[in-house]
This record gives sequence, structure tokens and C-alpha cells, in this order.
Amino acid sequence: MNAIKQKDLILYSGLIILGLVAPFLFSAFKVQLTYLCVLIVLAMTWNLQGGEMGYNSFGNILFYGLGMYLTASVQVGMFFPLAEWTESGGEKTFVHTTAQYFQGIGVGLLVAAIVPTIVAGAIGYAILGLRGHYFAICTLGLGIAAGEIAGGIEIIGAGQGFTTPPFPAEIVDPEARGQFFYFLSFLVLVLAFVFVKYIYGSRFRLILNAIRDNEDKAEAMGIQTMKYKIVGWMCSAFFCGLAGGIMGGLIGYIDSTDVAFDGREMGVFMVLMAILGGKGTLWGPVIGATLFHFFKEGLWTFILGWQYVALGVLIVVIVVYFPEGLMGWLREKYPDRFGEVIDEKDRKAQVEIK
Amino acid sequence: MNKLVKLFTIFISAITLTIASISSSFAKVEGEYIVLGSAISLTGKYSSNGVHTQNGYNMAVDRINKMGGVNVGGKSYKFEIIYYDDESNPKRAAQLAERLIKQDGVHYMLGPYSSGLTKAIAPVTEKYKIPMVEANGASRSLFTKGYKYLFAVLSPANQYLEVAIDLAVEKNGGKPVRIAQAFEQDAFSQDVRLGILDAAKRTGSEIIIDDKLPKELNDMAATLAKVKATKPDVLVVSGHTKGALTAIRQISEMKVDVPMLAMTHCDAAKLSKQHGKNSEYALCASQWHKNLSYKDKFFGGGKKYDKDFKKEFGYAPPYQSAESSAALLVFKDAFERANSFDRDKVRDALKTTDMQTFYGNIKFGPGGQNVAKPMILFQVRCKGDSCENKVVAPTKWASDKFYHPIPKWSERS
Repeated sequence: MNAIKQKDLILYSGLIILGLVAPFLFSAFKVQLTYLCVLIVLAMTWNLQGGEMGYNSFGNILFYGLGMYLTASVQVGMFFPLAEWTESGGEKTFVHTTAQYFQGIGVGLLVAAIVPTIVAGAIGYAILGLRGHYFAICTLGLGIAAGEIAGGIEIIGAGQGFTTPPFPAEIVDPEARGQFFYFLSFLVLVLAFVFVKYIYGSRFRLILNAIRDNEDKAEAMGIQTMKYKIVGWMCSAFFCGLAGGIMGGLIGYIDSTDVAFDGREMGVFMVLMAILGGKGTLWGPVIGATLFHFFKEGLWTFILGWQYVALGVLIVVIVVYFPEGLMGWLREKYPDRFGEVIDEKDRKAQVEIK
Repeated sequence: MNKLVKLFTIFISAITLTIASISSSFAKVEGEYIVLGSAISLTGKYSSNGVHTQNGYNMAVDRINKMGGVNVGGKSYKFEIIYYDDESNPKRAAQLAERLIKQDGVHYMLGPYSSGLTKAIAPVTEKYKIPMVEANGASRSLFTKGYKYLFAVLSPANQYLEVAIDLAVEKNGGKPVRIAQAFEQDAFSQDVRLGILDAAKRTGSEIIIDDKLPKELNDMAATLAKVKATKPDVLVVSGHTKGALTAIRQISEMKVDVPMLAMTHCDAAKLSKQHGKNSEYALCASQWHKNLSYKDKFFGGGKKYDKDFKKEFGYAPPYQSAESSAALLVFKDAFERANSFDRDKVRDALKTTDMQTFYGNIKFGPGGQNVAKPMILFQVRCKGDSCENKVVAPTKWASDKFYHPIPKWSERS
């Protein structure tokens, strides 16, 4: 037991050191690395519903977009009139001082974590009674509806979009912005990982699994499934909100349907990444997101115009050959490495029967 | 567990190696090439206009390279463009701009298609002090942000259809008109809307329908039903290529009678070809038309550009292509005047640009917008079955008279 712990320690400290030096080692790739952190957070928290609880949610993008708009709105609204900021063709130019910028984004991220969590609780209460496909379709609608609604609210820029505050000009180092957002996203990633890891060792996960495997039985066992389902979704919403807030600041421009409530891309990607890596595992979404990001960044520019076809092929390949994801595939191939004991006699007996 | 850790270590080191190996970078000027970068919409909702833009860029690169290239410091250089596909998505565009600058080492940028994407890229180019000449971001809010490295060869979006309202008022005997309008929910179309609001205020006109259209635009029947019921004097529609196509298709299907129909993107949508007589009398805002008499030594005039473009790409150039070609002429001119590849010198040279191209005069205002070129309006007119875009305003360029009001569908053959 101790030996495993020690190996884990080496692995984790290695990864953290890698995470800390990465922006200096691969300075030109900071933005991509930031995206990677955010993608992993999204995949990992999606996995809580899709993988552990068996509720395939396409609605997590709602919390992501909400977090994005909230962070930007708070960051602007704390110091300047929001309506004038977003008014297109407005002649006034507002500039955040360095202190204002960081205070704003700090408070903004806080709000971006809390509000989506509450929203998830409220919506969850209303719709988590739905199961299976009905839940999936319902959440799909959530993201789309949110995008359309946000596109009509003038104070957050409506169809014009919302330009988030530019990084303070007093910081002249052009690398500073990239580093700031990288470390912010890395911090959120570490928090999310520690949190999910904690859940993996808790009774809470077993309850989620019970809900996935047979909700009626779980309920019959005396588990208040509704309560746990809602709490599970709220946990995801917390991190999705944070991830959205960071992305808003990084991208610098929020568009209602293309950036914030981007169900067509981010919303699908987070599901895809979790499935690619293997849903229902701790490392699956991490590996899935990493591979997916590399596939996307590395290959897409070489097949200009065909990247979505390639993505389609990827999805088909995943579904046909790796229905359980990479981790699931590995687990099937090398079960002993996952701590599963196989009775050789039993296996042979089964082969003979076939 | 042991093996798993090993597996993971291998995985991580493989990734590290991959990153390290692909981080080779281009230089801003490589050998005899000046490398420009552009994220362009080759897929997604702006893909057709993205391709128009790319064709415009490519056409100008070929032409300039063939005709002696760019002379800097007594040496001749050629243009080369690195393209990425931004998938019509601002998030992706911002990321690709970062990539072009940081990883590909691009020091000069060409704009993407559409205002929204330009808005996403401008903060990035501004941060790294990369001069960007853009030809397809017309939103007014681009020019009020105090950007120093952004230069647009086109007139701002709010000017697109303002003239149309003035024209309607004039035809109405100087009396205010009743306006129905429907705009896509994107930065460009919403800016066109602001222009209409200004014009309505100025002329005392009343806006009786003010609808928003979704981004993936393929139906506006609800708006048209209202138009049928309320009978406005002018119907204004803007929503890029899809908006123009949808409007004409449904207006002709539903036989909506309206005295004046003003739109954007008619030429990019090839309305006169695709919808023929159904699109007749539509009034369209355009940055450029081949009949204008501007000239330069690379493309000759508009008519010659039209001919060469048709030969090269097999269709008549919409203004999106023309303005994109003009962007490269601006860059060439700035490089030669700066006589240097220093980014700030090139920027200063861009700032003092004052030239004529086949596309129009180009001179940048304090916000980076082109202040030397008016918008034009053309109207689709048909002879028999062949339809053409005829310039009707401003009067200086007009080849035909503005036909008003549009005859009722029951009277049209």
C-alpha cells in the first residue's frame, strides 16, 4: 500500500512540476496549454455526470457560458457602467488599471463559480427527474436556449458580442498575459483534479455509480437519489463556471452562441474527450482531453477545410473500436494492471465453452 | 499500478518531445518572402465569404509577385500567406492569431472574414504590436477601441444602408417612412442596424418591425408575415450571404409586396444568378462595384479585375474579394514607403497611407477605418432572364436610375 502511495507521489509531483515549468519551456504554446487545462477540467467534470452518474449532459456548456459572461460583467461592472461598455459604437473608452483588472477578475471568477452552482441546483431540481435520452435532449436545449437569450440581452452586448477588458497596459511584458491565464487555468485544473480524486475515494462516488447502474434499486436501498444527482451536477457547474470565466478573459471577446454557449463545439468536445479517454475513470478524461487537443492542434491545420470530416471519422473510430474509451480498452487488455484478478482456470473454462 | 505509472511517464515524455519538435518557427521575412498570416473561415457559417476573401488575397499575392514584388531596401521580395481555418468561430480565430504570431513567427497579419472574428483577433495583434490590414471587419465598434495596429480598407458597417433610408425618404416626397427591419444577431448586422436607427432618427422615420434573426439563418417567415400585415415602406434585411438568400427566397415564395427592399451581401450571395428575376429590384449596399472608375497599375480598373478574377476562379468577384485584394496593395505600398521590415515603421507607413486602388481610395482615419471611400448602392435589374447589378447611388457613379416602387408580385411576369 505504501509503495503505491509513493509511486503516486512521484507521478503527481512530476506532473505538477511539468505543469509549472511548461509555460517557460514551451513559451510559444502557452495559449494552447491554457486551452488544454480548461479542456481537461471540462472533461473531468463532465465525467462526474456522464461517466459516474450515467446522466449524459449536454448542458454543462450552460454553466461555462454563464461563468464567462458573469466574470466579464463583474470585471467591468465593478468599475464602469456596464451598459456603456458594451454599447457598440460607444465613443467612450474605459481602461482598467492594473489593480482594477485583477480585483475585477478575482471577484468575477468567484461569482462565476457560485452563481452557476446555484443555477445548476435550481435547474437540476427541475429536470434531473428525467432519465436517459430525455435528460440528454433536455440539457441540449438548455445550452441552445441560453445562447439565444444571451444574444438578445443588450447590457451584455447582445448580438454584438462583449469585448472583455484588455490586459492592463501597464504590464509591458507581452508574455505576462499568457502566463497569468495559464497559471490561473492550471490552478483550477489542480483544484478540480484534487476534488474529483477525493470524490473517487468517497462514498459519494459509490452512490453516483449506484444511480448509474440501477437508479430504481438505488432508491429502493434508501438512497435519496435526487439529492445526490443535484449535488453531483452542482459540483460540475462550479468548475465549468470557473473554466468559462478564464476562457472569456483569455479569448477577449464573448459571442453569445459561438464563444460562450458554444454547445456545437465545447459542449460536444467535453463529451467526446471524456468518452475518448474512457468515461467513469479518473484518468480517462485527462488522457482523452490531452489526446484530443493534440489531435486537433497538430492535425487540423494540415487538413484545412476537412477537419470536421476528420473529427467525424475520429468519433466513428472511438465508438466502434473503443466504446469504453482508451482506459476501458487498456483495462480490457491488461486487466491485472488495473488491479483486477483473473482466475486463469475460469478464463480457460470459458474459452473451452466457446 | 507500476506499469500504469510507466505507461504514463512514456505518454508524457512523448508529448513533450512532440511539442519540442514542432516548435520550429518561420521568420517574418524568410529569404525573399514576406510572410503574412491570416485566419480565415474555410468551414462554418462564413465559409463562402471566407473563400471569397481568400481568393481575393491569393489573386493579389500572385499579381504583385508576378509584377516585381515588393521593393524594400533595393531588394525585391515576394508575398506569402500562411492560412489557418478559423471555422467561423471567434474563439478559434483568437487562438489561431496567437499561433500565427507566436509559433509561426508572423509579423504582419491580414484580417479574417466578418466583424466578429476581427473583434476577436484585434486584441491579440494589438498585444503583440502586429500591424493588421483587414478587409472584412466593418463593425463600428472596431474603430472606437483605440486600436493602433488595426487598419481597415472598408467603410464602417453603419454606413451600409443609411443611404437607402435617405433614398426612401426622398422617394416619399421628403416625408418620413415606415421601416421594417430584420437583422442577424452578429456584430456586423447589428451595426448595420445602428446605422438604420440613426438614419430613422435623422429623418423622423418610424421603425415598425425590428426583428432579430438567428445566426444559422434559414427562415424569416415570421418577419415576412408581419411585413405582409403592416405594409411598411421599406424592408431592410442584413445577415451576410445566408440572410440575402433567405430573404429573396421567402419573399418570392410568400409574394410579399414591399415598395423597397434594402439588403447587404447581394453580390456575395450571387443573387442575380441564383434567384434571377425573383431578386429583381433588390437594393444592395456594396463596398465596391466593377463599374466604378478607380484605377491602379496592378489590376487596372474594376472591369479588368472582374475579368481576371472570373478567369482565375470562375465566378464574378463580390466586393469581399475586391477589398481583400486591396488589402495587399496597401501592405505593399506601406512596406515600400517604410523601406523597412520594422513593425513600427510599417505601422507608421500604414497610418499615412493615401492611395488609389482599383477598389477605391484608401486613407485611414484615426480609428483605422477607411475614410476616403463612399459606400455604393446597386439594384438588381433584369433584361429577359439575365439579371445584373446596376449602380444607382451615389449619383456620381450611377449607371442606371433607381427603380421605385417595386411592382407588386401580381403585376410581375
